[in-house]
Amino acid sequence: MMLKKRGYFFVLDAVLGLFIIVIGVVLITSSYVNVPKPAQVGLLSDDLINFLSNTKIKNLNNQYAGIGGELWLNGIITDPDNSLLQQAGEFYATDNSGIADRFISNVTQGVMPAQFRYEVLINGVILYPKTQTPEHLKSRNSTELLLTSKKITFGIVNKTTSAIWGPYKAEVFVWQK
Amino acid sequence: MAKIKSRKGIFFTFIAITIMALFILVFTPQADISLQKDTQAVITRIGSVDSYVNDLESRYFETVLRATTYKTILSLVFYINSTNPASYFTNFDSVFKEVMINGTINKVPIDSITAKKIMENNTLTNWSNAIIQAAKDTLNVNTTIIINDVSAFQTKPWNIDSSLSISFTVKSNVAEWSKTSIISATIGIEGLHDPYYLVNTNKAYTNQIKKSSIEFNQWDITKVREHLRNGTYVHWENSEAPNFLMRFSNTITNSSCCGIESLVNPNKISPSDQIDSYVDYIFWNPANNIPCNQLYNITNPQTGGGLWDEFRFFKLDFDHTISYNITSQDAVRTC
Repeated sequence: MMLKKRGYFFVLDAVLGLFIIVIGVVLITSSYVNVPKPAQVGLLSDDLINFLSNTKIKNLNNQYAGIGGELWLNGIITDPDNSLLQQAGEFYATDNSGIADRFISNVTQGVMPAQFRYEVLINGVILYPKTQTPEHLKSRNSTELLLTSKKITFGIVNKTTSAIWGPYKAEVFVWQK
Repeated sequence: MAKIKSRKGIFFTFIAITIMALFILVFTPQADISLQKDTQAVITRIGSVDSYVNDLESRYFETVLRATTYKTILSLVFYINSTNPASYFTNFDSVFKEVMINGTINKVPIDSITAKKIMENNTLTNWSNAIIQAAKDTLNVNTTIIINDVSAFQTKPWNIDSSLSISFTVKSNVAEWSKTSIISATIGIEGLHDPYYLVNTNKAYTNQIKKSSIEFNQWDITKVREHLRNGTYVHWENSEAPNFLMRFSNTITNSSCCGIESLVNPNKISPSDQIDSYVDYIFWNPANNIPCNQLYNITNPQTGGGLWDEFRFFKLDFDHTISYNITSQDAVRTC
């Protein structure tokens, strides 16, 4: 009789132990889920700056910024071999930051997942988004993880006079909303 | 009875130890995770700096070389235009190198002589310093750039090629890159003033390089008139003409690849009537004097043809009358 009772005690002890283990595992794994994914955000910021620096105007299919688009037809974009980052840098060098804002907004449309916000800066000046909404600022200030990728950019502003602009520091900041 | 009890206790202790061991194994590979994170960080860092090194070598210096070559040639033309009397360079290669690297000519800033801000902050040294600073600010790397040599030459009639030999080192906290590279760039010569005209007329007659659009077998008297009127240049295969760079140092010998020539407008020189062929490199080179019995006045009073109605006294040597397809309808022997 005593032996049977002790058996129940140990079984109950094992069940209780298992329960505690399961709760522990659930708590630990759920805490991992809530941690921001630095690798993913880091990759996104790298991806964005690589997209901007490796994609040329001539390879862009965009009604606003591509060849035959609005900026091209108005003579604002003239060099099809410029990368998107170079074109943004050229706008910065020629004091066309308003155009730079719309240009970056157009060419990065659909590139970033909707749950992320980003900024593009040249030499520390925010080109995109030029007008920062309170939500944007709040999101930026409250994010736990804001990652950046940097590159040097440069180019020729006028092929006839061979006037070079840069080299400038181009930065991309990415964070989760 | 007591024995059985103690055995069961050992059994549960084993289970507890096994579960603990499993938990330790599953949840404590912290050392591996942090090592992986560090490796990823190093890979990212090396990737960023490697991209910068590639950009530096393949794009930055190519862009800088192209721009600086154009500005240097432009400055050298303005320099000839600023000296009095206008004179050639005795050693074009060393002058080109000094202006490209330092923006000086005989250690005097060329901009102070030409009174034009062309080379200020635009020398190879300036652009090297600019990228060194930008790389430090952006990627926190130390870049050292040594310019070994720079030169200009021609392999095509309408282009100038420049070649830059550089050694550079990029040091970051994770790796170091050391390279020696030869960078090449090409610029067009159209639009630049011909130094040969500037010197020979002491700046009274200037002519900008503009390529004639006429094909070699399409010439006739009408096209020669346009050619002379517009001061355009032509390249003939296997001609005796010098190339554009040779015109800076009065090296009037044939350039097998790249000789170009234009026709001297008699209305722009004094005296207009000279016993010589009005092809530029023949006209101003005493070694190329053509005797008058081998010259042709490009006029024919009997037919009313030729160019003297607009370009009086214009003459060509026999070879060039053939090249430009000028017939006896429009030319008579000078003597």
